[in-house]
Amino acid sequence: MDPAEVEFLAEKEMVKIIPNFSLDKIYLIGGDLGPFNPGLPVEVPVWLALNLKQRQKCRIVPPEWMDTDKLEEIREQERKLDTFTPIPSLYYMELTKLLLNHSADNIPKADEIRTLVKDIWDTRVAKLRLSADSFISQQEAHAQLDNLTLMEINTTRSFLLDSLNYMYKLRSNLQPGRSQDY
Amino acid sequence: MFVTDIRKEFYDVVVNQRVALFVSPDIDALCACKVLQALFHCDQVQYTLVPVAGWQDLGTAFMEHKDLYINCSNVDLLETLQPEEDSVFFICDTHRPVDVVNVYNDTQIKLLIKQDDDLGVPSYDDIFRDDEEDEEEGEDSGNESDGSAEPSGKRRRYDECVCVCRREILFDYEQYEFHGTSAALVMFELAWVMSKDTKDMLWWSVIGVTDQWVHDKIPHMKYVTDIATLQRHVSRHNHRNEDEENSLSIDCMRITFEYDLRLVLYQHWSLYESICNSCYTSCSFKLWSINGQKKLQEFLADMGLPLKQVRQKFNSMDMAIKENLREVIEESANKFSMKDIRVQTFAVHFGFKNRFLASDVVHAAAALLENVEKDETPADNFIKALDCLSRSNLERLHLGIDLAKRKLKAIQQTVASCICTNLILSQGPFLYCHLLEGTPDVKLFSKPLALTLLCKYLLKAFVCSTRNKRCKILPLIMAAPLDVEKGTVIVLGIPPESETSDKKNFFGRAFEKAAESTSSRTLHDHFDTSVIELKMEDRGKFLDALITLLS
Repeated sequence: MDPAEVEFLAEKEMVKIIPNFSLDKIYLIGGDLGPFNPGLPVEVPVWLALNLKQRQKCRIVPPEWMDTDKLEEIREQERKLDTFTPIPSLYYMELTKLLLNHSADNIPKADEIRTLVKDIWDTRVAKLRLSADSFISQQEAHAQLDNLTLMEINTTRSFLLDSLNYMYKLRSNLQPGRSQDY
Repeated sequence: MFVTDIRKEFYDVVVNQRVALFVSPDIDALCACKVLQALFHCDQVQYTLVPVAGWQDLGTAFMEHKDLYINCSNVDLLETLQPEEDSVFFICDTHRPVDVVNVYNDTQIKLLIKQDDDLGVPSYDDIFRDDEEDEEEGEDSGNESDGSAEPSGKRRRYDECVCVCRREILFDYEQYEFHGTSAALVMFELAWVMSKDTKDMLWWSVIGVTDQWVHDKIPHMKYVTDIATLQRHVSRHNHRNEDEENSLSIDCMRITFEYDLRLVLYQHWSLYESICNSCYTSCSFKLWSINGQKKLQEFLADMGLPLKQVRQKFNSMDMAIKENLREVIEESANKFSMKDIRVQTFAVHFGFKNRFLASDVVHAAAALLENVEKDETPADNFIKALDCLSRSNLERLHLGIDLAKRKLKAIQQTVASCICTNLILSQGPFLYCHLLEGTPDVKLFSKPLALTLLCKYLLKAFVCSTRNKRCKILPLIMAAPLDVEKGTVIVLGIPPESETSDKKNFFGRAFEKAAESTSSRTLHDHFDTSVIELKMEDRGKFLDALITLLS
């Protein structure tokens, strides 16, 4: 999967906005949205929120987990445990990137949030690599990792699967009766 | 006719239509265009952007939609373009005087111009009285009555008298060309009225106003007034975001009001180079002479700045020196009789590295707009200059700054050589200078903006260096080769140099009259009527005609 595809899927998440225009309820295939009234918060998918923000028709309210104190707690917990901690949003990395790129002026302490989220990401991906490494070296048959997000899985997916395939081929070539004479 | 409520009569009308945007090639127009484009993007208005370099371009590019002209019309549009009945023209222009036909046309032409500029438009009755009289007799409205009915002797004399009066009034009105409020500022106020103004748009309007000051189109008082207006907007935007204790992300754009030095591009160059190539300092020190160089060394020594530091890139200078630089320079400048070394302006700040003054961006964009280096069409240069105004195209902006540095160095060298070789001749009522073809970098000066800068710089330098009191109050006409194969030169005239001038330029009409009387082959294509193209061979008689006209 492409990271762009993962980001596309992340844009379906709902986020709160405060519009400055009024519109009746709109009926889309994915569900109903609205009605929009100026100054009243309404939940919309991220793709719509970003489009409206770029056209200066709304103000985006950051999600509850996008707060420096909460993120610091999560980061501390992540560093303490060996397993993956449950995180507030399955798409935390993509949402942070999208919201901070387009509406950093609506999010307080945007720079600290960016750093904290990056720290959490780094810790989790490091744990993922460690566990993949131990999985291969101990030649386990199966493994279970909880609380991983799609983006993290996506970073290792192609490399891990391809390398496991190659290792299988190499191992099966080492068996007697399968050696090839040239 | 003048538009009173710009939102209802202009924006709401345009928002549902397909618009053609004709923009003339100067920085103020570019900024106004950017603001309007941003508004159009928000409301998803379909528009076509057409850069036009002159009247001929405008004619060929004319299309049949609702049209919008930025910065290009002080001539009767309906006659030149012959549009259809239902096309409407919205004109946002800084050139004054506005043509009277445009002002008094009620249906097809709408002017987006602030009426508190001192326009001095003659009243309808003064000019169009003939038409009323004619209509009574069932004639078409025109300049003179064709007179199918025999007018009585008295009436004939009255008609002549009124015609003469009208001509005089029109002549007085159209004699001087000057500039009004920046188009970018008008567009920004439109955005503000609709509450859709952003910091980007504010920055563009700052650049538009600064462009008018850099290219000497408006008097200093008007610049200060416009800056005060902009400062109110800037503080409003700054308060909006900083009222919580949480500060804004470093990537957000911050505009600050600065009382900064009048040294061109000094933060992107070395301090020494900037002092040598800025018009103000170079003319005050007279840097083309040896005495001038000595004075500069004294100046630097007086401030206690070591030469090694001053010749380095500004960003690499010692922090200790950079901290109080402005105050130190101002103090020393006062000793060397440079009272106005500091000027009110704005700076923008985004990310950790990027800090630009408004005049930096103006010079960069002007250099990109008139780039003669590669073989690119004017339309390409226009698009590149338009791009460099957005925050995401920083490499283009830096490229523009490099080109601007080269342009300024070329101007400085040309001025030095002109003064030292006495190339400026006094022709009686004006000064005249002709750039020969072999002059280095003469290709740069075949463009109007660069030639204007050179002209103003040269006139200032001449006024500082000459002892002849009479010559100090003369205007300057400059000719530079435009196209060697066709044998044309570009001729430009600027008003005399004075502290309190109102920058009114009479050369537009003067050039027209001189060309008519000598039937020289001229092309009055530019929107600025004081810039024309002329055949090399007709130069002599054209100048003679001008001398007789102006003395």
